[in-house]
Amino acid sequence: MNNRVVNALAAASLSALLVAGFGGMAGAADPADMVKERQQTMKKLGGGMGAVAKFVKNEGGTQEDAAKGAEAVLAVAKMDAKAVFPTGTAVGVGDSAAKPELWQNWSAAEEKWKAMQPAAMKLAEAIKGGDRAQIGQALGATSKTCGGCHEDFRVKKQ
Amino acid sequence: MRRRALPLTALVLPLALPFVLVTGGGARAADADAVARGGYIFQAAGCLGCHTNEKAGGAPLTGGRALATPFGTFFTPNITPDPVHGIGRWSDADFLRAFREGVRPDGAALFPAFPYASYTRMTDRDLLDLKAYLFAQKPQPVANRPHDLSPPFSWRFLVPGWQLLYMTAGPVADDPSKPAAWNRGRYLVDALGHCGECHTPRSLLGGLDQSRYLAGTPDGPDGDKVPNITPHPAKGLGKWSDSDLAMLLELGLKPDGDVAGGGMGEVVRNTTSKLTAEDRAAIVTYLRGVPPKE
Repeated sequence: MNNRVVNALAAASLSALLVAGFGGMAGAADPADMVKERQQTMKKLGGGMGAVAKFVKNEGGTQEDAAKGAEAVLAVAKMDAKAVFPTGTAVGVGDSAAKPELWQNWSAAEEKWKAMQPAAMKLAEAIKGGDRAQIGQALGATSKTCGGCHEDFRVKKQ
Repeated sequence: MRRRALPLTALVLPLALPFVLVTGGGARAADADAVARGGYIFQAAGCLGCHTNEKAGGAPLTGGRALATPFGTFFTPNITPDPVHGIGRWSDADFLRAFREGVRPDGAALFPAFPYASYTRMTDRDLLDLKAYLFAQKPQPVANRPHDLSPPFSWRFLVPGWQLLYMTAGPVADDPSKPAAWNRGRYLVDALGHCGECHTPRSLLGGLDQSRYLAGTPDGPDGDKVPNITPHPAKGLGKWSDSDLAMLLELGLKPDGDVAGGGMGEVVRNTTSKLTAEDRAAIVTYLRGVPPKE
C-alpha cells in the first residue's frame, strides 16, 4: 500500500468516525431526550392502532385512515428494539415508564418487540381486504403483542 | 331460574362425583356440562392469574404467586384437586363455605386476599360448576408456601372481625326494575370479576371503601395506580363510548391506541377477552349506571 492510499483510508475512517459521533450526538445523546423520543415513537404506534380501532368500531374512521394507521404501526414495528430502548433509559430518567427488568430480560423483550412486525403485516393485509371482523381479529393479535410487553416491562402510568 | 336449578344440582353432584372418581373420568353428559360451564365461570372469576406463579414457570393453578399488600405478602395456594396440597379432599359444602363465608374446611378463617367478599355473591350453581371444572384438572403435588405477614395481620383469629365489618354473605337478588343486561353486568363486575377489589380504594384495615365504589386508587396491587371506572366525565370513563369500553375489555386497546399492561393487561388476557360479547356488553351497561365519582 502506498502512502496516498493509507492517507485516503485514514481520512475516510476518520470522517466516518466523526459522522458516527456527531450523528449520535445530533440524535439523542441525552437519556432524557431518548426517553422523549421513545414516547414519540409509542405515540405514533398508538395513533396507528387507534386509527385502525376507530374503523373497526365503526366510529367514523375510514378504511384509508385505517390503512395509514397500520402503516404507522408497521413502520414502528420495523424499528430496531435497541434504538427504541437504548440502555440507560429506565424509569427514573425523564418520565420513562420502562422497568429495569426490560434490560435484565433483554432477549425476551426484544423477541416481544419483534413479534409486532408479523402481526402488523397481517393487520395491513386485513385492512386491504376490507372485512371488519377480520381486521378486528388482526387488530386483537397486534394489540396482544403490545400488551405482553406492557404487562411485564411498563410501569403503570397515570 | 338459577335458584330453581340449584337443589337439583346440589343433589346430583355429590352422587355424580364419586362415580366420576371411580370410573376415572366423566362419561356422563351432566358432568361434562357442569365442567364446561365451570370453565367459563373460572375465566370470568379470574382464578388462573392469582393461583399461578406464571413468572416462575409454575404449573397452572399450583399457586405460589406472591401478592404484595400493605399487610405483608400472601402466597396463593394450590387449587388443583391434589388431595394433599390442593383442594382434592374438599366437599361441595367445604367449597361453598369457603366462597360464601371465607372459612376453610378446618373451620379457620381464610385471609381476604382470596376475594371472597366478592365471590360470596356467586350463585351456588356457579360455585358448584366451578368446583366441577377445578376437579376435572390434573392434580399437582405442589406444596403451598406460607404467607409472609406481620402481626397483627398474620393473626387469623382476627379475620372473622374483618368479615363482620366488610362482608355481607350471600348472593344479591336481581333488581327487577333494571334490565337483564344490567343485572348480569352487576353480577359479572361485583361477584365474578371482583373488579372492585382493585378499582375501589381500601380502608386502613383493607376493607373496600364502598363510598368510593370503583373510583380508582393510587395504591393498587403491586403499588400500581388503578383508574377510576365510574362514568365521571373528567375523572372516570365518561368520555369513553360503549364500543371504546367493549374494545378495551376484548382487546385491551384504549381509545388513544395504547394497550393495557399491568394488572388490567392480565385481566384482559385471562378474563374479559374470554367472555362472550354479550357478557362484555353487560359489563359496559352496568358500569354506565354506577354513581360517577371524582
